[in-house]
Amino acid sequence: MSLLKADQITMQFGGLTAVNNFNLELNKNEIVALIGPNGAGKTTAFNMITGVYNPTKGKIYFEGKDITGLRPDQITSLGIARTFQNIRLFKELSVLENVLIANHLNVKSNVFEAIFKLPRYMKEEKSMISKSIELLDKVGLGDLKYEKSSSLPYGKQRRLEIARALATNPKILLLDEPAAGMNPKETEDLTSFIKEIKEQFDLTIFMIEHHMQVVMGISNVIYVLDYGITIAQGSPYDIQNNQKVIEAYLGVSENDA
Amino acid sequence: MKKRNLILTIISIIVLAIFIFYADSNFDAYQVRILNLCAIYTILGLSMNLINGFTGLFSLGHAGFMAVGAYTTALLTMSLAAKEQNFFMQPLVAPLNSIVWPFLPSLLAGGLMAAFVAYLIGAPALRLKGDYLAIATLGFGEIIRVIFTNTQNITNGALGLKGIPSSTNLWWSFGIAIVTIIVLLSLINSSYGRAFKAIREDEIAAESMGINLFKHKSISFMIGAFFAGVGGGLLGSLLGTIDPLMFRFLLTFNILLIIVLGGMSSVTGTIISAFVITIAQEVLRFLDEPMNFGFAVVQITGLRMVIFSALLMVVVLFYRNGLMGSREFSWDKLIKLFKRNPLVKGGTK
Repeated sequence: MSLLKADQITMQFGGLTAVNNFNLELNKNEIVALIGPNGAGKTTAFNMITGVYNPTKGKIYFEGKDITGLRPDQITSLGIARTFQNIRLFKELSVLENVLIANHLNVKSNVFEAIFKLPRYMKEEKSMISKSIELLDKVGLGDLKYEKSSSLPYGKQRRLEIARALATNPKILLLDEPAAGMNPKETEDLTSFIKEIKEQFDLTIFMIEHHMQVVMGISNVIYVLDYGITIAQGSPYDIQNNQKVIEAYLGVSENDA
Repeated sequence: MKKRNLILTIISIIVLAIFIFYADSNFDAYQVRILNLCAIYTILGLSMNLINGFTGLFSLGHAGFMAVGAYTTALLTMSLAAKEQNFFMQPLVAPLNSIVWPFLPSLLAGGLMAAFVAYLIGAPALRLKGDYLAIATLGFGEIIRVIFTNTQNITNGALGLKGIPSSTNLWWSFGIAIVTIIVLLSLINSSYGRAFKAIREDEIAAESMGINLFKHKSISFMIGAFFAGVGGGLLGSLLGTIDPLMFRFLLTFNILLIIVLGGMSSVTGTIISAFVITIAQEVLRFLDEPMNFGFAVVQITGLRMVIFSALLMVVVLFYRNGLMGSREFSWDKLIKLFKRNPLVKGGTK
């Protein structure tokens, strides 16, 4: 059984159909990429899966359970975490606090237990902090934990955003253009980082990406969207040789048309 | 280190207690009243700062919550004779006309009542964001006031309540202010407090980190309203008389002023600013009186507010984030300030 399944999901904004009958199947421990020209509806598809938008039509199943129309926080607590295209860290807060916030969804104590520092809360707080520090050490941000998150260099901010998503204990990690704005060196680091965390945290990864090196290098399956329509899906090799994909990216020559 | 800080905090609370003990018997009524107001405005400022500064909800309904707290406390503490004297137009409704509660439970009841009202208001209003939330809460605050003006047999309408027993003294106001500070600091530094700050920083990211926005906004709103209600109860008891006109939105703006000047997410800033503004408003009173310039005696009524506004403008221009911004006082920083160690560079700290 697939871990995540999108069945004919469609998103319409008034008269505009941003995503049309999108089907997706994610199997455990796969890396799946979603590519397509600008405005193809990739982020919209992401937003439907993570609950930011409620699809106009279609259903989304996670581990066989219908999750269509749930709130983003409910979907996250089920085990789907995401990052954003334009980094959305909690800028004024420290690196450690950013990760601690992602742990909040596991807090069982109520607000009074937290205010009066009752034993159950103190235990949770302690384990939360040690878990977060451990996570930061794992992703190589251990020395920076008390820095303000907005003071980190760009590549580290990306890394922190991924770490923050990992702190919610996801089964699926959705990355929205993780390599956007990165130089070749940073891109390379990121690629190996993604592979690493996939193994370490037993993840399934679904990502939007424009950098073809990243996409072709690590994904098992690629989906191609153009104007909201899935024009191709398959292995990196198939996609590279798919006529429709080449047309969508490079255009059609007038002689052929 | 932690132990040392705790000891220092306890010592400073004891020093404050000695000061209150001294002030209680040696200061005149006017000075005591101003000190009381300082403490009450600290409570009100902190409660509003939790909602506006730490959770980032631009709420302007504070006067409404204070009104709820003030009326609840007043109606519970007033003696039966005073109640009868007040309600000559229409008698007071059933359970209230026969009960007299002690001060502390009444204050708590006032706070709980305000929190309950916040819960009711929050259900629709907290689905709004930014300016829209401000307008909606402002409207709800006014609605509370209008309801209080028209419920003759509960609030005595526009006549207001007179003869509220004056239980507020320095011990009560400062004691509750300290409790408020401790509770709010503990809340802000807890996991829930971090969730509030996450909502302030970026709602979308907070939600996708698994934070239930509505639940956390409601919690912050209700706790803020609780302390606003308690502050309102203290204020009513200090003044001895309340009426709906007292709780116009101007009162909300006074508190907003305190938190903006003090720093929108600083507990320390709010405390300093509550004291400075309350005292400054009294100190500048001489500006309203006739002034002798030697050649002429001039009296400009309202000059006090002009100067006060000018001072505010200066502060806002030069301290964009308020006096403290989001910084907080800590013993470590204070000690560092006094411990000038010339060997820090390259040496051990």
